[in-house]
Amino acid sequence: MVDIQLNATINGRNVSRAAKPHLRLLDFLRDDLNLTGNKEGCGAGECGTCSVFVDGVLMKSCLMPVAKAQGAQVDTIESLAKSGEMSVLQKAFHKAGASQCGYCIPGMVMAATAALRANPFADREEIKERLGGNICRCTGYQKIFDAVELARDVQNGRVPATALLETDTADGDVIGKNVRRIDAPSKVSGRLKYAGDMIMPGMLHVQVLRSPHPHARIVSIDTTAALAMEGVESVITSADVPGQDGFGVFVHDQPIMARDKVRYVGEAIAAVAAEDALTAKRAVAAIKIVYEPLPPVFDPDEAMQPGAAIVHDYAPDNITKHIPIRVGDVEAGFAQSDLVIEESYSTQAIEHAYLEPEAGLAYVDHDDVVTVVSPSQNITHHRHMLARIIAKPISKVRFIMSPVGGGFGGKEDMIYQGMLALLAMKTMRPVRLVYTREESIISTAKRHPSRTTLRMGVMKDGRIRALAMRMVCDGGAYGLSTEGVMRKAAILAAGPYAIPNVRIDTYGIYTNNTPSGAFRSFGALQTQFATESQLDIIAERLGMDPFELRRINAMRDGATTHTKQKIGSVSLMRALEATEQASGWEAGAPTVRGPTRGDLNHDDVRPSVTLGTRFTDSANQEAAE
Amino acid sequence: MARKRGRGMAASWYGIARTATVDRSAAWAEIDDGGSAKIVTGVTEIGEGILTVLAQIAAHEIGVKPEHVVIGDNDTARAPEAAHAGASRQTYMIGNVVALASREAKKRLVDVMAEMWSAPAESIRTGNGEIWAENTNHRITMGEAVACAKNRGVVPIGSATFGTNTTGIADGKGGDGAGRPWQAYVFGCQVAEVEVDTVTGEVQVLAVWAAHDVGRAVNPQGVEGQIEGGVVQAIGQALMEDYEMKNGHTTTPGFAKYILPTSLDVPRVNSIIIEDPDPIGPLGVKGIGEPCMVPTIPAVMNAIYDAIGVRVFDLPATPEKILMAIREKERRDAAVAIQAAE
Ligand code: FES
Ligand code: FES
Repeated sequence: MVDIQLNATINGRNVSRAAKPHLRLLDFLRDDLNLTGNKEGCGAGECGTCSVFVDGVLMKSCLMPVAKAQGAQVDTIESLAKSGEMSVLQKAFHKAGASQCGYCIPGMVMAATAALRANPFADREEIKERLGGNICRCTGYQKIFDAVELARDVQNGRVPATALLETDTADGDVIGKNVRRIDAPSKVSGRLKYAGDMIMPGMLHVQVLRSPHPHARIVSIDTTAALAMEGVESVITSADVPGQDGFGVFVHDQPIMARDKVRYVGEAIAAVAAEDALTAKRAVAAIKIVYEPLPPVFDPDEAMQPGAAIVHDYAPDNITKHIPIRVGDVEAGFAQSDLVIEESYSTQAIEHAYLEPEAGLAYVDHDDVVTVVSPSQNITHHRHMLARIIAKPISKVRFIMSPVGGGFGGKEDMIYQGMLALLAMKTMRPVRLVYTREESIISTAKRHPSRTTLRMGVMKDGRIRALAMRMVCDGGAYGLSTEGVMRKAAILAAGPYAIPNVRIDTYGIYTNNTPSGAFRSFGALQTQFATESQLDIIAERLGMDPFELRRINAMRDGATTHTKQKIGSVSLMRALEATEQASGWEAGAPTVRGPTRGDLNHDDVRPSVTLGTRFTDSANQEAAE
Repeated sequence: MARKRGRGMAASWYGIARTATVDRSAAWAEIDDGGSAKIVTGVTEIGEGILTVLAQIAAHEIGVKPEHVVIGDNDTARAPEAAHAGASRQTYMIGNVVALASREAKKRLVDVMAEMWSAPAESIRTGNGEIWAENTNHRITMGEAVACAKNRGVVPIGSATFGTNTTGIADGKGGDGAGRPWQAYVFGCQVAEVEVDTVTGEVQVLAVWAAHDVGRAVNPQGVEGQIEGGVVQAIGQALMEDYEMKNGHTTTPGFAKYILPTSLDVPRVNSIIIEDPDPIGPLGVKGIGEPCMVPTIPAVMNAIYDAIGVRVFDLPATPEKILMAIREKERRDAAVAIQAAE
């Protein structure tokens, strides 16, 4: 393919450059011009992190072939804060606390800029609609709407520009004040470099070969053809691991790359370092692997049955972890109860969907220190594990935590850092790996899907006498954080209630599904979903207000928990009261009172939206494309 | 009316910092030339705002402005261990240890000034970039004080370590789970207001009131940001997100299939911050990152029931599931009506 000569005005400067015709505008901006402010969150037009202006129109640059920018005027996030002075909107994002991890923010700022250009007087509902094509996984959007409204009001002179300034802390009291985030300017301007934005001289690009099978023996791996390709520096497999292979937060059951067998679709088997990503990708395709498929197991309940396929030899019952909690005598408690309710609940697997896909760099420094730069949530533990895996003293292993574009637990696992370290050691050159969105979704941990049976016995006056819960979770192919998730799930399962008889069992189970791991609220979300749903079922049966039922059973100061720990102050009653008051809750039993409630539709409730009445900016955008 | 509204509530609890193990963290502090503060600790921002929280804490303890705090971090070869970024532990474990390290650095500087001014150390105050001795005319900038200290051969630095008094739980074979998994617990409660379209099955969460104990809010806007983000993630799980698998292959490998909440799906989140100070740590802070997600889903499911008399036991409550459950309920109600008529 011959290069095209691209002539365009980019951020106000004339650019004339040869470009590979297969590039998207986003690649050209990020890789060829090093304008890394706009990000690639999905590469498929779904997230908006790549949003730029093309001839003044908001466009998703991941969908646009570079040739289409011929003669165009392109403006990226870097164009907004010329010479370091942020735009009003950027300042408003800073002031309102609208950026968290920051990965969506450059695209969001571009979309918000477009929104206020389209209608400088847009109200909150219109702002929401105009930002509908941009995903943020961190903020819940509220502070983003606040920021756009603030910018609108400052621009229109309704609010003085001083509203954008730092909170006054001259009285010396700094704690408890809304000090502006110190990392926000770098995020709203696109200046912050995430791992995937970083480059090093002489850097190689890494691509990974992944398993197409959920469970299979690896009979042979032939890397000869891949290694022979021009531009390929190195190909590694588990045979290249010099030390004791295996990582995981609790059990070290996962090799850096599959060893002898694969246990889930998407598991890494080999990695290639080459002069550019395309060559690395081609080399991955040239690796030949012979598999012998093994019977898989996908259902955690089936996996617990005798005769089920065994995922890890060390756990022939496929149980990663069982956590028991026992207080009193539950059977006696049920026998004493006036009402016993039993129900089953289930929750699904959830993708973390941090907007920043996994990315990292590794190099061996002048002192022979193997250095990995990545958005790792646990650099301390990763360096322990990596030192053992690459057989080096801990002092020769260094982890640097790059800015994390969203983690939520999903970046606690050392999924790819080991491959990077090995390739850096083999090539003695810096190496970089950037996952695609699809790669991130198929190969990294999920929130544990769960199946729960919950039995609760109560007295007529609402006192809970007994609670028995059994939860089975699909932990997938590797242990990761499963043990810890099962533990936290169990400890917190019965809720903040004084219950004399408790029996809880949580099970994390190996299957050949995508592994489950750490995810914000770590098992407690699954168990308390069941408990709190059941309390409302009970409240209805007893004809009791749901707040009242919880108050009757609430732990109080000095309570003893279900793990028999005596705790001090318990703020539950305050939380109940505060919510009841703030929401203006109308007391009554949960007997489908919705149609007759008098407490609906306060000022602090948003208007509902009607599908189809929304005007969509994306329609305009498509027309422009 | 095809659209029905309802409200539901749920309460929750959570433990702060690592579970059923001893948690620990460390930090170094230095009051630098010019009177700025330098904090080094081995953990960084994952988006929650911890760098700002640490800057506020160091500023408060040392007596400088938050913008004059520099945070060097996130490098196992250059910073002391602060363990990991998770478990709702950042403000608790790292905030507290930064406070302790800052206090030690400040004490070094205060001791120098006390000697210079022949004033008791207890009478020396700092704030807003200045240091002074109460009831005297002695008042200089922190930058000048650092210069004084250095002229006397003292670099005002401090370091600290903070650990929890916690244990494992008895979860081996035959165990009862007894133990002391955390030293700080938080509690919360949420109310959700929903609207259910009984024709399309679509559920909109219009508002959430969320009250959470955070011990002490260092940056209230940051706490709200955590609550708003956590509530919306939970609504994603409650109503739309689903990582689906078929024979070991996912059928939802991109955001076209894996549906996430957008700006149009989010409720108005009304946060209520409760401060029940932690008696153990030096600051009284606890945490909020994870606890804010826990009550949302049951509050929403309870609200759906309140609106239409249908309970969803299997997440997510997609429009299809809501419609199926409505039809199921209609059949049940009809059967009851026939029985009653007979
Ligand atoms: S929309 Fe372009 S990267 Fe997601
Ligand atoms: S701040 Fe929006 S994705 Fe993190």
